[in-house]
Amino acid sequence: MPFKFRGGVHPDYMKAPNEPVIVVTPPPQVIVPMAQHIGAPCQPLVAVGDYVTMGQKIGENPAPVSAPVHSPVSGKVVAIEPRPHPLGDMIPAVVIENDYQDTPCKDMAPLTEEELKDPEAIIARLREAGIVGMGGAMFPTAFKIKTGLGKVDTLIINGAECEPYLNGDHWTMKLHPEELLRGIELARIASGLDKAYYGIEKNKMDAIEILNSKDPAKYGVEIVPEEVKYPQGAEKMQIKAITNREVKPGGLPAGVGCNVISTQTAYAIYKACYEGVPCFERILTVGGSAIAKPFNLQCRIGTPFRYIVEQCGGFVKTPKKIVLGGPMMGLIATNLDAVNIKGTAGILFFTEEEDRTVKNPTCIRCGKCITVCPMGLEPVYMYAYFKKGDFENMKKYHILDCFECGSCSYNCPGRMPLTHSFKTAKLLFAAKAAEEKARAEAAAKEAEKK
Amino acid sequence: MIQKEYTFDASYQPQVRTKTGTTNIMLDVIIALIPAMAVGVWQFGLKALLLIAVSVASCVFFEWGYRKLLKKDNSIGDLSACVTGVLIAMVIPVGAPWWMPIVGAAFSMVIVKQLFGGLGKNFLNPALAARAFLMASWPVIMTTWAVPAALSKVVDGTTMATPLSIMKAGEPLPDYFSYGNMLLGTMPGCIGEVSAIALLIGGAYLLIRKVISWRIPVSFIGTVAVITLLFPRHGGFFDVNWMLQNLLTGGLLLGAIFMATDYSSSPVTLNGQLLYGFGCGALTVLIRYFGGYPEGVSYAILIMNLCAWAIDKGTRSRQFGVSKEDLKAAKKAAKEAKAA
Repeated sequence: MPFKFRGGVHPDYMKAPNEPVIVVTPPPQVIVPMAQHIGAPCQPLVAVGDYVTMGQKIGENPAPVSAPVHSPVSGKVVAIEPRPHPLGDMIPAVVIENDYQDTPCKDMAPLTEEELKDPEAIIARLREAGIVGMGGAMFPTAFKIKTGLGKVDTLIINGAECEPYLNGDHWTMKLHPEELLRGIELARIASGLDKAYYGIEKNKMDAIEILNSKDPAKYGVEIVPEEVKYPQGAEKMQIKAITNREVKPGGLPAGVGCNVISTQTAYAIYKACYEGVPCFERILTVGGSAIAKPFNLQCRIGTPFRYIVEQCGGFVKTPKKIVLGGPMMGLIATNLDAVNIKGTAGILFFTEEEDRTVKNPTCIRCGKCITVCPMGLEPVYMYAYFKKGDFENMKKYHILDCFECGSCSYNCPGRMPLTHSFKTAKLLFAAKAAEEKARAEAAAKEAEKK
Repeated sequence: MIQKEYTFDASYQPQVRTKTGTTNIMLDVIIALIPAMAVGVWQFGLKALLLIAVSVASCVFFEWGYRKLLKKDNSIGDLSACVTGVLIAMVIPVGAPWWMPIVGAAFSMVIVKQLFGGLGKNFLNPALAARAFLMASWPVIMTTWAVPAALSKVVDGTTMATPLSIMKAGEPLPDYFSYGNMLLGTMPGCIGEVSAIALLIGGAYLLIRKVISWRIPVSFIGTVAVITLLFPRHGGFFDVNWMLQNLLTGGLLLGAIFMATDYSSSPVTLNGQLLYGFGCGALTVLIRYFGGYPEGVSYAILIMNLCAWAIDKGTRSRQFGVSKEDLKAAKKAAKEAKAA
């Protein structure tokens, strides 16, 4: 039985229609950003005019926390220049003219039988294939597993998919159960463990049945059906649900001996090791009231949003917001020319219909934010101290331990900008720390001079 | 590809919000009060309805007028003024003159609520503060109880004593104050407090709609039940009748379900709500036993209102990932640091 966590909300799930994933024809031009992970951005390995094959490595950085990027199509490099990144800003990107041949790259062969049992070979392959946390965090998976070796005793695969709208993971489970289990098995072997736990919310019973029918024990996987409650899929909640351990404030999952990887990542691991295909494609959900036909798409990395919208029948209403990922924790994009990247689990186009903000948000002190906070915090006071600019009390009320799941804001009848304020507060804290550090350094220099 | 250019808004997460807004909550409270209002009108006649109407209208007027005068945004749309209006009428006797709710509304809306910043900022329950104000200003009117319609054949005259004042005098209750009558509401009392069943139906509705949590009402009523059961005022021990009489008469249910749960004047922490309910219950019994008034619910709640913020500070919940041992270790470290 999975353990329960305190708090959480039950949003309207609004999952995309239950229809199989549609494979999207790649666009005539793909734009591959050089930063699709947390860590050092890649340097382009190709030049304008080069011919690249599908799956060829086109960007790399030797830093340990980084992941190479690969060409999602075959064709000619037409530009290497800053292009709009989905998370804002202009980031250097390789633009490739698609020749629609999909000539595969031969650099990466499937792993051999022995290699599939060798943790080091698997970790090297994960790094080489550019696999990152595809749930949205985009943390390089090879680095995560490597640093967890010896510390981690429990590997958890996150199949909760607790965010509204998204159901790409659900469909991956139904369409590729065996591949997923094999991918999990590889992650488990790489972590040097005997068992992995696959936590799936109970609203996906069909997928759980299909997975169970494939004999998960053979792969050293146990399927754990979990309570349907947002944010079940948050890393800390997954760990709590499966092991009853609680990550300490400011701590990392590895601190309590756990590593969590997402469903899409497990699928990408399978593809990289068994098929020799690096990470240049993913399954994502397109939805929101502005979209004519919400769908799950299997889509190459680097496809502009414009092209994706067209695949889903275009807009039926004027869109007001582009949400990357789920609506609870997803970030905002503001440019239709931006492209999907490895961590894009969904693209939602919202109109005024989804907008429930009001002109005068008023706190009525109902305390509903406190009852839903999975971290056991008091958003009503955190907000009050934020408004006062009282940094000492903000810290005392653990504003820095909020992981921005959005449950408090979601549940607030007064429509207060709670999560928004906590995010801002964290930025203020960071700025303050930087300022203090600079001041201390300047003082130290001054002292040295004397 | 789509050629048209759109402009997109930027905002932090979450991008979706629940349907339940402030107005929905206030509307739910009004709906939950309908059974109690209905019993009030049934037992005390159309005069009760008139008082409710005057009270609601004047609350809305004062809130609108104050905010208009100070050039603030109009806030009557959230219906909180209507809720206060109904509640003020609920806690005055039907014999009150028609202008009395207007005075109460002015005091509660302007002085208790708006002067402190409006909705969510008042530290006292506006309706109970108004009742305390009226009680201090017109004590005779506020303690003269009309005979309810169902008892007009049994009781001579137009006014009578409430069960609580009879109990305060240490006399046994007459037969017409049966449990059935207490549940149904055929008792003298304030317009909204007489019927236990009507109030419990309202409370159940609020619980189902998740407008209130069980914590405050249960700990409030539970505390009164336990103390009155174990320590009856006339001496002795374990008196079930005395306990039930204490629970079903006076304003206990109205106070525990609708007044003590007022958002802005009650604690928000989960343990704090239990402590607050306990405090309300204990003070209610103390006033009923040893105070000058037969009824203590309203003052008990008002006193605990003043403690709400302090209770919040002292009863913070356990943070995720912090065990009791961690807390103890942190306390010890802090002590050592202080000593050093």
